[in-house]
Amino acid sequence: MSPAIGGLIMRFVMPSDTRYLPVVRGATSALAAAIGWEESECRVIALAVDEAIANVIRHAYHNRSDGVIELECREIPEGLEVTMLDTGDAVDRAKICAREVGSDQPGGLGTHIIRDVMDSVTYQASPSGNRFVATKLIRKKT
Amino acid sequence: MTISVRDVGEAKVVDVSGDVDLGTSGDLRRTLFTTLPLTYTLALNLQAIRYIDSSGIATLIEVLSDSQRLKKNFVLFGLSSAIEEVFRLTHVIRIFRIVQTEQEAVGGA
Repeated sequence: MSPAIGGLIMRFVMPSDTRYLPVVRGATSALAAAIGWEESECRVIALAVDEAIANVIRHAYHNRSDGVIELECREIPEGLEVTMLDTGDAVDRAKICAREVGSDQPGGLGTHIIRDVMDSVTYQASPSGNRFVATKLIRKKT
Repeated sequence: MTISVRDVGEAKVVDVSGDVDLGTSGDLRRTLFTTLPLTYTLALNLQAIRYIDSSGIATLIEVLSDSQRLKKNFVLFGLSSAIEEVFRLTHVIRIFRIVQTEQEAVGGA
């Protein structure tokens, strides 16, 4: 995670504590606005980041609040890149898989939101931890 | 997030305000599951909700499922466009009974 020259960048190193969720949502929404998204888009970008953090808290740290989450949101020429690292358990993808459209079952909603809002999403597990990277492209006005 | 429950005729109305997320949805879940057995119509007022995430939506799906099992009427009202957007993103808006006003929600209760 190296700084983007000239682009906006924001970093958090925080405990896996749900009390940080509104803090991150507010900051992410403000960053998205500064990059150039409209208010409604800023809200759903913040929602997608919130869902990614919530997935880490629930599935990697099993709702423990003493884990560490590193979050970086950075402006890239095409829009926004979100990178998140944690050292919790490797997540079973099947447990957080995106749900079927129109399903009346409660599981998988967060992953569905992330995939719907962001333009690309990757998860990577390694011995040093889990890495989540997502990008959101901005459609610049011509 | 704050939650309160009031009686409107035979119905129970649950008023929620603030943010419903992973840290707070458990409180909403407990209130709704505690209130559901006490009434035929359980109306959830979302007018003062600023934010809801998938844990909040999942809670509502669980309550809806239980209300159907118990043959009760679970209805939502007061959704802002921002909250409706989250329902739309999760493709669950059609499974809920959603109305505009409290009067419609408790209709005739």
